[in-house]
Amino acid sequence: MGNNKDLLLAHSAMERVALVESVNVMLTPQFYTLKKEALPVKYAYQAKKIAPSLFEGLLEEGGNYNYMVTKEEDTWAFIAYDIDSITVFLESKGITLEKVSKIFFAQQALSSFSSPLALNEKEALVALDDTVVVVPRIALGNEEEPSLVFDSSFTPKRGVTLQGSSSSVLTQKQALSLAAVFMLFAGMFVFEGSRYGGENESAGAELESLYESYPAFQSSYTRQGIVDKYRTIDTKERKKRDAIKAFSGMIFKGVTLTSLHTDEKGFQAQFSCASADVAKRVKELAKKAHYNTAKVKGSTDLRIEGTL
Amino acid sequence: MSWKRYQNELIALGAFVVMLGAYAYKHNQVTSQAKEVQRVQNSLGEIKEVIALKKVWANKKTTKKIVALQTLIPASKVKWSKKSKKVTATYTGLSSNELNKLTTKILNLPVEVRLLDIKKTGSTYNVEFKCKW
Repeated sequence: MGNNKDLLLAHSAMERVALVESVNVMLTPQFYTLKKEALPVKYAYQAKKIAPSLFEGLLEEGGNYNYMVTKEEDTWAFIAYDIDSITVFLESKGITLEKVSKIFFAQQALSSFSSPLALNEKEALVALDDTVVVVPRIALGNEEEPSLVFDSSFTPKRGVTLQGSSSSVLTQKQALSLAAVFMLFAGMFVFEGSRYGGENESAGAELESLYESYPAFQSSYTRQGIVDKYRTIDTKERKKRDAIKAFSGMIFKGVTLTSLHTDEKGFQAQFSCASADVAKRVKELAKKAHYNTAKVKGSTDLRIEGTL
Repeated sequence: MSWKRYQNELIALGAFVVMLGAYAYKHNQVTSQAKEVQRVQNSLGEIKEVIALKKVWANKKTTKKIVALQTLIPASKVKWSKKSKKVTATYTGLSSNELNKLTTKILNLPVEVRLLDIKKTGSTYNVEFKCKW
């Protein structure tokens, strides 16, 4: 990753640069301390754990050191670097953090240093005893004239990503922990959400079986039309029958039904009452049933009516 | 501003957004499921109501049952006319007992009463009845 970017060689005597695109940066040994040890460990992470103890007394006090460990045949190569001082140096040369994709160390590209690489008129990078070092050009023999051209082919596979820790509120560990918690909740929500899809099957199956038996009812418009039609009939007819039943209940000793009329708009009944008391009782029954009552002039007869 | 400077925050934020999306998905599923349940229940209720209403008011056996309104009363007192699913009947000189039996029968038949007109004449009753089903 990041190998398609330009590789910039950073050394203490470099000129200030103006970058438009982000670049990878390779640091010369001026910015890191290298130590090689043959350790009985199998994995890099195990070696990395003991890296701080290996550099005890070798590094300047007060530095914010990080470590990189690489395997070189029989030995482990430990690189200690102070990310703060590297950052300060790069920014002093116009290489702001946001323009740095990855940082590499010259030692990582050991195999690429087949011949000396000139840093400036006085210094060169050479590989001596499997270690990349900065040497005065004066120390190089005539046959060792710097001839190497530095380009992105020097880019190693692994690099250090500058995380801009100075402006970041969260450390990578915190961010990953938070992300893990969020993703866990996300998984739970998705799982719960997907479970809701499978419920209510019994009601759906019952509905389907009814649709099969009554295909005409599949359309809600059709259903509504039929429901409206029969609901109206049902309501009206029940009212008519309730009225007739209520009128039947008003017939007792001293009361005679003289007429009853029921049609599609309403109903009306007339009772002949033997006395005013009987008429009063009938009237009370009619009021209880919420019907309108009217006395027939010149008699104790009572007319009761209602609408549908 | 480079996103790399806020890489950690972006990772957490991205996961948070994914979580929000998942929550929205769950919420949407729950809501749509509730709506679907409601829709199915409504449809079921509606269909059952339609079936029940049709069973009462569009019963094919009503045509046979309606004949009872003619046979219940002596033929001499009945003038009966039936066309398709409509009946017009006129009853004359019914006693209280006969009127009682007739109205009870009418009330128990699932027909639309278009007209029920009862008039007392002396000690007997005359009835005009129209219905359809």
